[in-house]
Amino acid sequence: MHLEVEEKEGFNIVSVVGELDVYTVPLFRKVLLKIEGDRKHDIVLDLSKMTFIDSSGIGSLIETYQKVTSSEGSIVFVVENPRILKILKMVNLDSVFNIFSNLGKAFQFVGVSSGYIDEDFFSDKIERR
Amino acid sequence: MIMPVRLREKPLVVTLPCKMKSLKKARATVRKYLTRHGLEEEAPDVELAMQEALKNIIQHACPADEKMSFTITPFDDRLIIEVLDKGHGFDVGIVKSEPHDPMALRGRGIQIMKGLMDDVEISSGMDGTVVRMEKTRGSKNEARGQSKQDMLSS
Repeated sequence: MHLEVEEKEGFNIVSVVGELDVYTVPLFRKVLLKIEGDRKHDIVLDLSKMTFIDSSGIGSLIETYQKVTSSEGSIVFVVENPRILKILKMVNLDSVFNIFSNLGKAFQFVGVSSGYIDEDFFSDKIERR
Repeated sequence: MIMPVRLREKPLVVTLPCKMKSLKKARATVRKYLTRHGLEEEAPDVELAMQEALKNIIQHACPADEKMSFTITPFDDRLIIEVLDKGHGFDVGIVKSEPHDPMALRGRGIQIMKGLMDDVEISSGMDGTVVRMEKTRGSKNEARGQSKQDMLSS
């Protein structure tokens, strides 16, 4: 597993590439703690390249969520892989986390202008006369 | 009572050192075995449930022989998976009554096993613990999985 971190309009976009489990959680925590230490609290956690997660990985996502929200930051999640989404739903985190199916929708929600417009995101809000 | 028919495949029987580094080997072995027998569809769920069961042993059971074992037995309609240790055991009642706080940092392994498998039974005593899991094979399982998903998203 490796992490890709990019800063965009005050948000840290953190992409998890590979497996987040008992082996890789220490690296994940180290990177996220550094971001916390830098007082850059707003995070888009992109899990679309994540291939596997276990209960330790889930614990690390919750820990990150708690740290960010307790310091009045914002955190949203991007989950494209149906298997990962299935696991998060299984432990009821879909009712706690703000989860989006792609990065564009997450950016639109937090107000980062990525140059990406997802028309579907707004489609149910358009009133036709 | 109709008993499931066991297939020709030999069960997978594995014993590993009771250490975290064994988890990777366990997952790779499970994936290889299930793929070889045309059970790729079931492999991801079995791999994760197995990892959770083995991790529980490493973190809580402390078996004196420092070993843990698992078996996978394929039947025509299901897989039977057993994970065993000879550790000091634990009170199964606590696990059964454990509330699932979505924000708890730990204690989610058994919840995941139960979510992924069709049946999970845990028996534990002074001479060890056996986690017995059942996974229905193929399309029947997908249908059941889907109905679980529907319930979760409602």
